[in-house]
Amino acid sequence: MTDTTRESGGRNKSASRAGTFELKSRRFSLLGLVLHSADMAELSADWARRAGAGGFEHEPVVIDLSQVPRAPAAAAAEPVEGQAPLALDGPAPVDLKAIVELLRASQLQPVAVAGATPEELALAHELGLADAAEEPAAERAVPATPAETVREVVREITVETIVEKPVPVAAPAPTLIVDKPLRSGQQVYAKGGDLVVLAVVSHGAEVIADGSIHIYAPLRGKAIAGARGDTSARIYTRSLEAELLAIAGIYRTAENPLPADVAGKPAQVYLQGEKLLLQPLS
Amino acid sequence: MTKIVVVTSGKGGVGKTTTSASFATGLAMRGHKTCVIDFDVGLRNLDLIMGVERRVVYDLINVINDEIKLTQALIKDKQLDKLYILAASQTRDKDALKQEGVERVLDELKAMEFDYIVCDSPAGIETGALMAMHYADEALVVTNPEVSSVRDSDRILGMLSSKTKRAIEGKEPVKEHLLITRYNPNRVEGGQMLSLDDIHEILRTPLIGVIPESESVLQASNQGTPAIHLQGTDVAEAYKDVVARFLGEDKPMRFTEAVKQSWFKRVFGAK
Repeated sequence: MTDTTRESGGRNKSASRAGTFELKSRRFSLLGLVLHSADMAELSADWARRAGAGGFEHEPVVIDLSQVPRAPAAAAAEPVEGQAPLALDGPAPVDLKAIVELLRASQLQPVAVAGATPEELALAHELGLADAAEEPAAERAVPATPAETVREVVREITVETIVEKPVPVAAPAPTLIVDKPLRSGQQVYAKGGDLVVLAVVSHGAEVIADGSIHIYAPLRGKAIAGARGDTSARIYTRSLEAELLAIAGIYRTAENPLPADVAGKPAQVYLQGEKLLLQPLS
Repeated sequence: MTKIVVVTSGKGGVGKTTTSASFATGLAMRGHKTCVIDFDVGLRNLDLIMGVERRVVYDLINVINDEIKLTQALIKDKQLDKLYILAASQTRDKDALKQEGVERVLDELKAMEFDYIVCDSPAGIETGALMAMHYADEALVVTNPEVSSVRDSDRILGMLSSKTKRAIEGKEPVKEHLLITRYNPNRVEGGQMLSLDDIHEILRTPLIGVIPESESVLQASNQGTPAIHLQGTDVAEAYKDVVARFLGEDKPMRFTEAVKQSWFKRVFGAK
């Protein structure tokens, strides 16, 4: 995504370039939704439980169907040798329309499918999704041996995960600086970088950063650092009174009172393994 | 230059309308041409407290819908010739408040050379409250010394700094003033109410005044008189101080210290 902005910025400046556009090959890193189940009811329940809270900002997503257990339909249960069993009357296609709706409702922007059967691909084109044929699609479309197909039926892993592929851009994201108080109901998200807040973060306000969070005032609301899984992110504040502290998904709420040596005092919060440590700052 | 002041709070029943009435009256008493508008469409209150409910013929919604001229809807106060009231409609709801309509009414008032337009906001954070604050230059945030009221005020302060016209257009932010009402220093001392320091620590907004808890507020609204008119009461004095501070005068805070009541007063009652 960073590439796109840079590219358009550059284009504006160089008037000498011939033509109004260029078609170039580009590589982007995208979120991939790897499905392990085709059961929509099960999937949407699990989605609501694990990702329903949102926090997405219309990021593009590739729906990866390559891991979906493919139960062969009755007609194709005994694939005849030399026949392409999945071409037409293959397994029941994944309900792409429902998945697209699910993702859009969570502020994600599905852009393509990967590892789809021809039937699913046709459906994807209808829905305006592209084919992200990363690996040779044939590898999965035709199971190597019938025996393997049977194993797929038995498999009952119904976990769906969001896998983030490594971001190749090395340039550090800019720090977001907020100098006004963050009041109840307000939310600030420093995407890709650190967040610095110079005024109070009130009860009911939320500060979120992909990097660390520095608050030079009392922190009374919720602070979520390392929102995309950076376990080295930390939270610093002049006065720790937070309702919720989270780093890379490990969190602690105010239900469990803050220890006396940090409550209402300057402190830092960081992760050690799976444990959130609260340390006073002198 | 006309200044638009919104009186808001988030929470209901904290004294917005009482404050709007007394504040607008106070500005007019000081010789400023002032109009007070009731934005609480569907639940008229301001006209009752201002004692003009029998004189309401047309209201804000009639003007917004272009049914009548603004001058027909403006009610002139009987005591102060610089004070005008624009009542809310009781038969409509808040969806009748349209942004263009509100802007046109405010522009017409500006053209009539009003010094101050006081907008009495409804409770809540929906259309009515957003409309009342949208064009504000300054805001009086009314808070009671208890946790839920302070939280709601925090929410409203956030909206003032993000949802108003000034915030959206990136102009100088709305000037915020905190007004604490129903303050009872004796109950603060007893730990039943938040103290001024506690409230300041949470909200960090400049304090424009403290209105003590008093029976005379109830008495005033029953009589249809703005509380600022009740001569000799601490509430009237406190509102006069608020108006003076708003106009840039330096006045020390009053009625914020606990008073030890003598047994005599306790037995025979005190004001």
